[in-house]
Amino acid sequence: MTIVHYLNQFFAGLGGEEAAGHEPVRLDGPQGPGRALAAAGAAPDVTIACGDDHFGEHEAEALATLLAWLEEIRPDVLICGPSFGSGRYGYACGVLAREAGRRGIPVVAAMTPDSPGVMAAEGAAFVVPTGSNVAAMRTVVPVMAGLAVRLAAGEPVGGPDEEGYLPRGLRSNAMSDRTGAVRAIDLLLAKLAGDVRTEVGPTGDRVAPAPPVADVSSVRLALVSEAGCVPQGNPDQLPTRHANVWLRYPIGGVDSLAAGTYESVHAGFDTTAGNADPNRLVPLDAARELEGREAFGSLHDAFYTTSGVDTPVATAAKFGQEIAAELLEAKVGAVVLTGT
Amino acid sequence: MSSTVADLEIATFGIDRIVEGTQTGRDATTLTVSSSQLAVGAGEPALAEATVEVVRPGEPVRISNVLDVVLPTVKADDPASTFPGILGPATDAGSGRTNRLYGVAVVNSCDWLTPGYVIPEEFPDSLVDMSGPGADRSPFGATANVVLRFEPADRAPIAEVDAAIRRETARVARELAATTLGQEPDDVARYAWPLPAASADLPAIVPILQVASEGTLVDTFFQGEAMDDLDPTVFDPRSILDGALTNGAYDWAGVRNVTAVYQDNALLRALFAGHGERLRFAGLIIALGYLDTAEEKQRSALASAQLAASLGADGVICTTFSSGNSHTDTMLSVRACEQAGIATTALVCETNGGLTDHVPEADCLVSTGNEDELVDPWTPHTVIGSESAARVGEPVPTWAYVAACVETGDAAWTAVPA
Repeated sequence: MTIVHYLNQFFAGLGGEEAAGHEPVRLDGPQGPGRALAAAGAAPDVTIACGDDHFGEHEAEALATLLAWLEEIRPDVLICGPSFGSGRYGYACGVLAREAGRRGIPVVAAMTPDSPGVMAAEGAAFVVPTGSNVAAMRTVVPVMAGLAVRLAAGEPVGGPDEEGYLPRGLRSNAMSDRTGAVRAIDLLLAKLAGDVRTEVGPTGDRVAPAPPVADVSSVRLALVSEAGCVPQGNPDQLPTRHANVWLRYPIGGVDSLAAGTYESVHAGFDTTAGNADPNRLVPLDAARELEGREAFGSLHDAFYTTSGVDTPVATAAKFGQEIAAELLEAKVGAVVLTGT
Repeated sequence: MSSTVADLEIATFGIDRIVEGTQTGRDATTLTVSSSQLAVGAGEPALAEATVEVVRPGEPVRISNVLDVVLPTVKADDPASTFPGILGPATDAGSGRTNRLYGVAVVNSCDWLTPGYVIPEEFPDSLVDMSGPGADRSPFGATANVVLRFEPADRAPIAEVDAAIRRETARVARELAATTLGQEPDDVARYAWPLPAASADLPAIVPILQVASEGTLVDTFFQGEAMDDLDPTVFDPRSILDGALTNGAYDWAGVRNVTAVYQDNALLRALFAGHGERLRFAGLIIALGYLDTAEEKQRSALASAQLAASLGADGVICTTFSSGNSHTDTMLSVRACEQAGIATTALVCETNGGLTDHVPEADCLVSTGNEDELVDPWTPHTVIGSESAARVGEPVPTWAYVAACVETGDAAWTAVPA
């Protein structure tokens, strides 16, 4: 079993704040808290460390170096921290945990639940919650070591409550001792008795409507759609369902989306009418007409498209954020979003 | 409760061993299946070929291209009235003695892709594993299965092929159960309707069973008729348990209401069992999901809620048919019932991204599992069905396993935080 342990400059013994700019280093055996891990049965074979400021200011380079070491060592598990309430250290732990996790290395980290590292890890690591300072070391190290040893051995790990890690935002299937039918009746009778419980709640956030466009006459308008509208033949292979990408197509100088030139590859509705007139998927004809009448400032020179069918909410939210970031960059102030 | 002629009696006959032989028959708990005697597909011009294979739990077999699962059933006093509308004329299904084999299922399989009837995007893979890491995903990895594999006749119209497959599958289910005629069952469950009055102190519960019927290969049938123009309607729940409601919708396997989940419907059985004990079973509503427009969805939800109120419902349980679009029908029904003052719960599957739709009124939901979870790769010794649709040696998403996350309440999977 090979265990690699990630620490910042302080816990690796490289120095305090004055050493926060330290480049990544690779050390043999356990360092600092690694000794406590060793005592708990999870002795690190290699310790890798980086200064918190260096990681923050040179993330890509630092990460490349650290990941190259992990590639070379191929550990059975990576342990990050504990970073407690330290924001910079926690962030570095979270990013490294995410990238290592995505490369198939099991990762255990530990930090406060509100650490930026929890978000940065994106569910790719088992993050054990800690108190904000080093006093929590004694309680957290055995939990980390226990998880690490079992993950390294490929043994199954239980749920967050049972094992003491933060929910990773994943939903894992489990066999209940009752059918869904019996659970539905049990839940309903409990609800009628005033005890309202649910097995699943909403994960998406509720989007507050944006304020009205202040000056429509000068606004740059963009067309965005999840109707699966693409150039005929789907040259970029937009998936028809479970889409993992959004695409952008230029419409500068184009007044209308002609039938036979654009089509919908959306697998969730009858596309006959949309294919007969793709302007009903992405209303370019109407937008151009209104632009000509100066009903708004100008039309953005591309439309944005994906096929919104069986798309997980998290994926759809990410698409929205990415498209919105690009539209903001292009000084777009309003969007017509056509849904199906 | 006194029995009357009008009660439905489901007599069950347990089978723990299934063998192939020259004559179809049953000896105690052993069922012998004769494929030559069953002559599946003979007399059906829309079918080119049909084969019968028997598989048992624990065998290294994956079944692919699965369309439907049917429990072997026969009307004991009038076998010709079994599966009304499919095998014979419509009847007053839901009364009299029905014999059913337990531990055995008829699984049909047909590759629609190779003859060019559909494109892969329309027809996701549909599997049952008899062993390996996915064996516990489909409830039908635990039954002995008589697998009917059909091949359409050249250029046969798809609706005719599908009708022939459904007819032949029902016929085999009836033939297998006919081995019980005149014999003593292991158990008899009796279902009266209307039910005897129960204490008004108990809450009146109404299930809204959602089905969808959007055309050939995505239809649901009542007494053999596609239900595409159904308005929310009160049904006799016994008719559902007695084979009047059958499946002809073959898209997403994991959330597919196969015929077996109507025949043996866990929710209806649990409501019958709970009547007079901890609830009053006040009636069954069937309503459509996958409705096309916002107006139709809203109208149907409101009509369902009104019907539930007219049945005196204190509580409603909404089931869901398949995933995506229909989750909106479910959520609108929950909202309409809650706004009518009826406490409501619903059964929904999850995706990796959570719920497809949600209304704040839906504060009491059953999760039937995460349909996107991957099951470890497995290489079966044998694939029944087309290998190209069998994901051999690849991770398999849960949605590919037949009825794994079925939202009728017939499976026990759920999703938990990880």
